[in-house]
Amino acid sequence: MRAREAIDVLARNRGETVAVCALGMAANEWWAATKSEDSFYMHGAMGFAASFALGLALSLPQVPVWLINADGSLCMNLGCLLTEASQAAHNLKHFVVDNGVYQTVGALPMVNGGRTDYAAIARASGFPRAHTIEALDELERQIPAIVAEDGPSLTVLRVEPEKGFLRTPPMTYEGPEMKYRFGRALERRFGIKVFGPQGY
Amino acid sequence: MAMDVAERIHEQLTRCGITLAASLPDDWVAPLIERIAADNQIRHVRVAREAEAVAICSGAFFGGVRAVALMGATGLLTCTGELATLNLRHQIPVFLIVSQRGSIDDHRIYQEVQGRRTIPLLQAYDFPYHIIDQPEDVTSIPDAFETCRMQKRPFVLFLTRRLVKGEGAS
Repeated sequence: MRAREAIDVLARNRGETVAVCALGMAANEWWAATKSEDSFYMHGAMGFAASFALGLALSLPQVPVWLINADGSLCMNLGCLLTEASQAAHNLKHFVVDNGVYQTVGALPMVNGGRTDYAAIARASGFPRAHTIEALDELERQIPAIVAEDGPSLTVLRVEPEKGFLRTPPMTYEGPEMKYRFGRALERRFGIKVFGPQGY
Repeated sequence: MAMDVAERIHEQLTRCGITLAASLPDDWVAPLIERIAADNQIRHVRVAREAEAVAICSGAFFGGVRAVALMGATGLLTCTGELATLNLRHQIPVFLIVSQRGSIDDHRIYQEVQGRRTIPLLQAYDFPYHIIDQPEDVTSIPDAFETCRMQKRPFVLFLTRRLVKGEGAS
């Protein structure tokens, strides 16, 4: 399964979901598949998209929130799984695109060399549901049930490592503009106030 | 922390409209954290690393929720990278309440570097901060919170030892 194929399946099944993407390959592929402004694409804080998504999910408990994470980011902050499990946000789903490498820096191998079972770590951290999906047809079959189940859940998508610096280009707008596009998109969709009367 | 100080700070956080708090304790801020944890109007998230608290509050901002991150001075040092690459990069305000460890009345050798280098580090990043040293100054918290939002970056509210332990505490 290639990362783009897996992300395409998620994008087709996202419904009303708001997504948070870890920086790098996952964010770039999600942007390529969705061109969505109601998604937040992290520009930094590697490892902490999970925490950002949790804060968003707790703040909008009626809104499905998906985290599009990657194995490099997850490994930089495995402790996020303890916090997610403890908070038990029913509206939060955590996807991990697992290619075993740091793709955007030239597909250099990660520390664990494919030995790690992230779904088992999630279950041991207290996640009630965790899945590992190895093939595209399996993902197509399982995604309706994953979408329908209560969170928190963690789904590992095992994809092929691919080489090429910024093989899929990132979104076409950057940090502060992303903040305002995302915040305004959520204000329009959910009738909330992210910014004050003077715009900050 | 003298209980009346924790109560005053908690009251001011409520005045700010804060409904989410994320924390990792330091012994100076622990009484405030436990007071907030007992308030069922504030969603309290215990984290395993301080940068989680920063990112949780940043996500909450986009849900229209006012949030605070509570931690010790050492924890603040551990998350300066995330404060720069998430909050400065995207101009996301995050309000932090932090113990001002390493002050001249904090005779703990493992806090001395924090005492010497934390404020110069914040100045280097151009993160605004305010130091609360007296119980009467706790009422400045709503102004500090609004300044944080207006400046669209991390804002650190330091609590001194004299404030949290009282005059002459050992």
